[in-house]
Amino acid sequence: MLDLTSLMMVFGALFFILIMLLPALFELKKPKDAGPRRIMEEIVAGPPRIEITSIEKDVEINQDLLRKVSAVISVLPNLEA
Amino acid sequence: MLIETLEALFLVLAALTVVYMTRHFIFTLTALKSPGTRSEADDEKSSYRPTVSVLIPACDEGHVIGRVLRRMTELTYPKEKLQVIVIDDASRDDTGKTGDQFSKRYPFIEVVHRTWKEGRKGKAAALNAVLQYVKGEIVFCFDADYYPQRSILEKLVRHFTNPSVGAVQGRVIVLNEPKNLVTRLVSLERIGGYRVDQQARDSLGLIPQFGGTVGGVRRCLLEHLGGWDGSILAEDTDLTFRIYLAGYRIRYDNDAECYEEAVENWRAYWRQRYRWSRGHMQCAFKHAPKVLTSRHLTLKQKIDGLLLLNIYFMPVLTLLSWIVCIPLFFLGPSQGFVILWAAVSVSVYSFVGNFAPFFEVGVGAYLDGRKRAHWLVSLLIFTFIYNIPICTKAFVDLLISKALRTREVVWHKTTHFGDGNSYIMN
Repeated sequence: MLDLTSLMMVFGALFFILIMLLPALFELKKPKDAGPRRIMEEIVAGPPRIEITSIEKDVEINQDLLRKVSAVISVLPNLEA
Repeated sequence: MLIETLEALFLVLAALTVVYMTRHFIFTLTALKSPGTRSEADDEKSSYRPTVSVLIPACDEGHVIGRVLRRMTELTYPKEKLQVIVIDDASRDDTGKTGDQFSKRYPFIEVVHRTWKEGRKGKAAALNAVLQYVKGEIVFCFDADYYPQRSILEKLVRHFTNPSVGAVQGRVIVLNEPKNLVTRLVSLERIGGYRVDQQARDSLGLIPQFGGTVGGVRRCLLEHLGGWDGSILAEDTDLTFRIYLAGYRIRYDNDAECYEEAVENWRAYWRQRYRWSRGHMQCAFKHAPKVLTSRHLTLKQKIDGLLLLNIYFMPVLTLLSWIVCIPLFFLGPSQGFVILWAAVSVSVYSFVGNFAPFFEVGVGAYLDGRKRAHWLVSLLIFTFIYNIPICTKAFVDLLISKALRTREVVWHKTTHFGDGNSYIMN
């Protein structure tokens, strides 16, 4: 017959094992770092990159306005003709 | 009298485990303090480009040989200075045919086909067979399941500008890590073993191990040493010590990284670790006396060399210490014994593994910037327990073979499935 002290030792040991294994169980259940680790690759040194401003990016063309302007221009007489 | 004898025996075993624990603590602290970043001197040497031969031994590696050969064509090393030799070791699948296809297209790739009679006698025999075809000043080895960085050869050859360097070793990272529990645990072992253990041994001027793959040796040194020893299962460990005993040293480069395919089940794990254990023990019997008396090794190298050579005996001694505990428990030990038992119980966690104790693994994962990989460290207890019968069987088999004077070495190769292909990031 196990006495109280022995029972407490057994449960204490089981609890300790569970605590130790808990992080592993979490990671196995929902892996968030399963790898593989990415191999380092050399960054090839080249000429310095110059940021060129994109004029198309800076100027936002209003398409509705463009259509209206086109429509106005199209009805104007062709002065060159 | 019996109690005193058993306690004395246990004291010796406890002392050994504490020695290994101290060793691995020192390695861990060293790895934390010196992460092994490149120096300016390294950058100066980075333009060194000797001729290089890459040997790829392949026996039934049809699933992976195409991948490694394709990678050889993508290496940034000057192709006019590169020779790749595929050793088709009497393969029964398409390994030889795939090698021939690459050889036809790329002039720097050659294939040596070994017949059924010549081949399948182990990696060392395969490597020795092609030494006559090697033209490079530096001889590298890559296993067929490996996938290196494009610039790995540049990183490794720069160490040879130092004439005292005989060999160099790069880092191995497990490619198929997410596959299952076995691969994840093996990956953890690799993290501790390379990121911390090997790095620290290099930083401290001890004996980094040439791993037989992702590593290179000077051809002239290799020829002087007579090539690889085909009678030793761990031909890489054997070469490591022969290099040091010849007065050279080995450098470990943590930045030179290469993917490998880890074993995927516990049976394959047993076979691989059995081969490593038995081979390591063979090296211990062969080299331990020479390490003690060598005039080329410093005192700390001799100490580390002996600890490295005997590391696979420690699981056997762990089992012995547990066996000793049983009669002591019933006979009634002395007061001091309880403390010793506690010391052994704690420290035995600290040294066992594939030279990757648990805290080395944790620190290695931290240095790698891993987020939760180290959460699995507690599961390494299973590999720790699994290694005990592996190493014990290897030891018993070795003793029997020595008693019977049998020299036959049976090489159980690891089967590779190419499952890591989906993880390759270009």
